[in-house]
Amino acid sequence: MDQVKVIKIKESVFADNDVQADRLRQELKKENTFLLNLMSSPGSGKTTTLLRTVEKLKDRLKIGIMEADIDSAVDAEIMAKKGVKTIQLHTGGMCHLDAGMTEQGLKELETGDLDLAILENVGNLVCPAEFDTGAVKNVMILSVPEGHDKPLKYPLIFQVCDVLLVNKIDVLDYFDFDMAKLKEYAWMRNPELKIFPISARTGEGIEAWTAWLYEAVLEWNRK
Amino acid sequence: MHEVGIISSMLKTLERVKVEEELTHIDKIVVEVGELSGVVPHYMEQCFPAAVYKTPFEDLKMELELAPGTIQCLACGKLFPFHGIQWKCPDCESEKLKPVEGTGLLIKEIHGK
Repeated sequence: MDQVKVIKIKESVFADNDVQADRLRQELKKENTFLLNLMSSPGSGKTTTLLRTVEKLKDRLKIGIMEADIDSAVDAEIMAKKGVKTIQLHTGGMCHLDAGMTEQGLKELETGDLDLAILENVGNLVCPAEFDTGAVKNVMILSVPEGHDKPLKYPLIFQVCDVLLVNKIDVLDYFDFDMAKLKEYAWMRNPELKIFPISARTGEGIEAWTAWLYEAVLEWNRK
Repeated sequence: MHEVGIISSMLKTLERVKVEEELTHIDKIVVEVGELSGVVPHYMEQCFPAAVYKTPFEDLKMELELAPGTIQCLACGKLFPFHGIQWKCPDCESEKLKPVEGTGLLIKEIHGK
């Protein structure tokens, strides 16, 4: 019988996904497309925030959206009504998207002529944080009703994100939400994190967020 | 659910190593799970059969080794072992803490022929 070979590799479980994500980023760079990965828990207002974001930027950038959900196409239908190129990805029960699934989605979306592709990841604060999708920037939404202690409970997602949108600030008065504490906890996890308080419902704060995003897209597509 | 995704990702690495090392079969893997990696070893074992079902690794055995978590207090500098859900420095009670060890999730060994 053949001798059993023991290979000591000490390689991260995510190594292959990370390699695939880097390759995808390089390909997007070549075709001048900026991929944004948007993450949050369910019900934080991802779709409404996207609608506001697209409204602000659609005259200046060509945008495409990938809505990832375990099932249904409700989000994609809402976005498509706004006249934005949208596809719905079904993860078939999976709680996140990895680089391979993102790549398939981008192919379907036909990103060649797009300046900005947005991936609306599955609503979840745990798994999406583990998997690099190939995005240029990671953005997360935390809404006021979820509480200011989330950076303590879900540290990884705050570490991997570049921007934190604190949504639903129009209802701040009704919740025991401490914005100063949230910032303190979030910066403990990630001192580089940019924080924009917004209300996707009233439009407050959307200007500052979209200005940041617009600049980030231009910078990526210029280099 | 989280753990299923992680195992599926791991199988991709195994496929690559199998080709690189010219193995015909992989019998067993040893995975090092950091206490602060966010992965629950028990769930990892529970969902393993489902994650390998109908893949080339259906008869694969997985052995888990737990790597202890160490936390450093950013206020007083103390290093202390991770104790479950308590997220406070045992000395100065600061909540400004940083995980320093046991955050990884590694494929440590691959046994094949």
